[in-house]
Amino acid sequence: MRRRLLIALAVAACTLTGVAAYVGARPAAAGWQEIAWPFPRDGWPAGRAFRCDVGLCGETVELYVRPKVGFCNCDSGVADDDEVDRVADIDLISARFVADRPGSVVQLADMSGRMRNYSLHMPDGSRHAALGLAVSRRCDLVVAAARGGSGARLQQLALDFLGKEDVRRWMTAALDGRWH
Amino acid sequence: MMLRGLGVACCWIVLLAYGGGAVAQSQIVGAPPEASNMRLVGHNDLQARSAYQPTIHHQGERWIAYIGHHGGTDDIPAPVNPQTGKAEPNGTSIVDVTDPAQPKYLRHIPGQEGKYEAGGAQMVRICDGKALPKGDRNAVYMLRTFGGEAHEIWNVADPQNPVLITRIGGLKDTHKNWWECETGIAFLVSGAPDWRTRRMTQVYDLSDPAHPIKIRDFGLPGQEPGATGAVPTELHGPISTGVEGNRVYFGYGTNKGGFLQIVDRDKLLKGPKEPTPDNLSSPEISRLAMSAFNGAHTTFPMKGMPIAEFAKDKDGKTRDILMIVDEAILNECNEPRQMVWFADVTVENRPMMISSYTVPEASGAFCERGGRFGAHSSNESMAPIYYKKMAFIAFFNAGVRALDIRDPYHPREVGYFIPSITEKTDKRCVTIDGKDRCKTAIQTNNVETDERGYIYIVDRANTGLHILELTGDARKAAGLE
Repeated sequence: MRRRLLIALAVAACTLTGVAAYVGARPAAAGWQEIAWPFPRDGWPAGRAFRCDVGLCGETVELYVRPKVGFCNCDSGVADDDEVDRVADIDLISARFVADRPGSVVQLADMSGRMRNYSLHMPDGSRHAALGLAVSRRCDLVVAAARGGSGARLQQLALDFLGKEDVRRWMTAALDGRWH
Repeated sequence: MMLRGLGVACCWIVLLAYGGGAVAQSQIVGAPPEASNMRLVGHNDLQARSAYQPTIHHQGERWIAYIGHHGGTDDIPAPVNPQTGKAEPNGTSIVDVTDPAQPKYLRHIPGQEGKYEAGGAQMVRICDGKALPKGDRNAVYMLRTFGGEAHEIWNVADPQNPVLITRIGGLKDTHKNWWECETGIAFLVSGAPDWRTRRMTQVYDLSDPAHPIKIRDFGLPGQEPGATGAVPTELHGPISTGVEGNRVYFGYGTNKGGFLQIVDRDKLLKGPKEPTPDNLSSPEISRLAMSAFNGAHTTFPMKGMPIAEFAKDKDGKTRDILMIVDEAILNECNEPRQMVWFADVTVENRPMMISSYTVPEASGAFCERGGRFGAHSSNESMAPIYYKKMAFIAFFNAGVRALDIRDPYHPREVGYFIPSITEKTDKRCVTIDGKDRCKTAIQTNNVETDERGYIYIVDRANTGLHILELTGDARKAAGLE
């Protein structure tokens, strides 16, 4: 009986401290609102999704970011644009996308990788600008996809958001297993 | 702060209450192997090189094991070969296993420089020259990968003095090939530089190994050069049933989003070769999509299996079965369980999963032992001694598992062997709060069998080659006594 009580207490305390750690790691960025992860479950655990106020972004912009732990290219990292096409979660928004141009190197939270602008072809016939980004740390990735606005503006908005101190801290925490 | 302190203290209580047994199950150097109905016959440390694929070949009067290696480790990128006294990047080990109790290390052929997945020569297949339509009858050919950049063919007729015959290079990755010795057709898992995927298939005619002839590139629509949109899961490896069976079973994905693709071999070889979406689709008979949680590492066909339960049925007494093995990638259970699946592919355009198998985690506290826990690969020998009766599954820290598969609707474990670790066994780490926490455990990576019934397992964590045999009920189940 006493053992059960101890375990129950411990589980409750672990839950509380876990929740506290999660809340403490949430990024807070002016103009960005966290929303529910909008995609069905796939091979990777769900990430975090954000929507940018029209006041800040000019039009609706959404950004989705998540860690992908267990990436095979441990040594070479995100070495080319094909890798961005494969891993950056653009296909979650629409399986039909076309790269606008060759991608470029990006550095985020002490991780390096690549990003690339796309045109999305949505099932309803509409087209949207999108950005795919992937950075790696050893055998793990952080990927982000954003949509809305125009290509250059979208890239700047996404990089500004992902570059914020608390977002960068969250990325590191997520790769360290301190989230989810 | 106090709440946090209490939380940490209580977490320890939970760990001690539930985890005490798990800690006790950690492997320690000097402890005996864990086994049921399997027995260790012989061992070789393979110069403490991380091992991937073993292939056992009956070569004249001898039995030779060819073992592919991953690249080196952070600590030892290129182990010293005691036979040469030189540091050599991991490549291929050649071991005489004629006497399985006394395996003799014959030769190490260095591979590509690089660590872990980035180097070495992970895969190896063997064909006798006399079996190949245009081979040198006195030669024995070894097809191996050379890191990610090439495939090579060596003449290993004298296994102590291999001679390089051919190299197919300029690739960005390679993996688990299949080579039909009767025809010479090879399905090479390659990374053609202009394809959008890391791994796809290059079909070659290697009937004359000295003069490879490329037949075509093959992959899934969306992977080909110039495609746009989502990129389908990359290939892991194919297995062909040759001219007679006229099927190639491709496994895509490793630990995620996998599927089985059933392909008409004849159409693949003779169909239009330009990698357009239509041309890539035309040889495909069907696909079996797996959960996003699992990949298809090995797709092992067993056609025409009699199913005892169906013996009195007017139709469907025998079934074409495919065993699909996932690959665990992450250490200490940081991913969905990777396991073994059996699919009934009798009706080819409606393949269906019928059963599965995994090692019960609680039977060895495997999630706490360190390293990977989950399936990786099966034996691929189709020699009659075990074919359609027993399957052997490499299960990383749970060693090798022997399955009675005579009723593939209800596969049953009948034996296992988890080798002891040694001073040479490499550690495996996970990141906890930003720091590495490492444990040492066996990491049985691959398994193969020979026509005599010996079972060969090799360790990814540098513990070497273990040669095993079945005992007890497992031996009876295999019909060996």
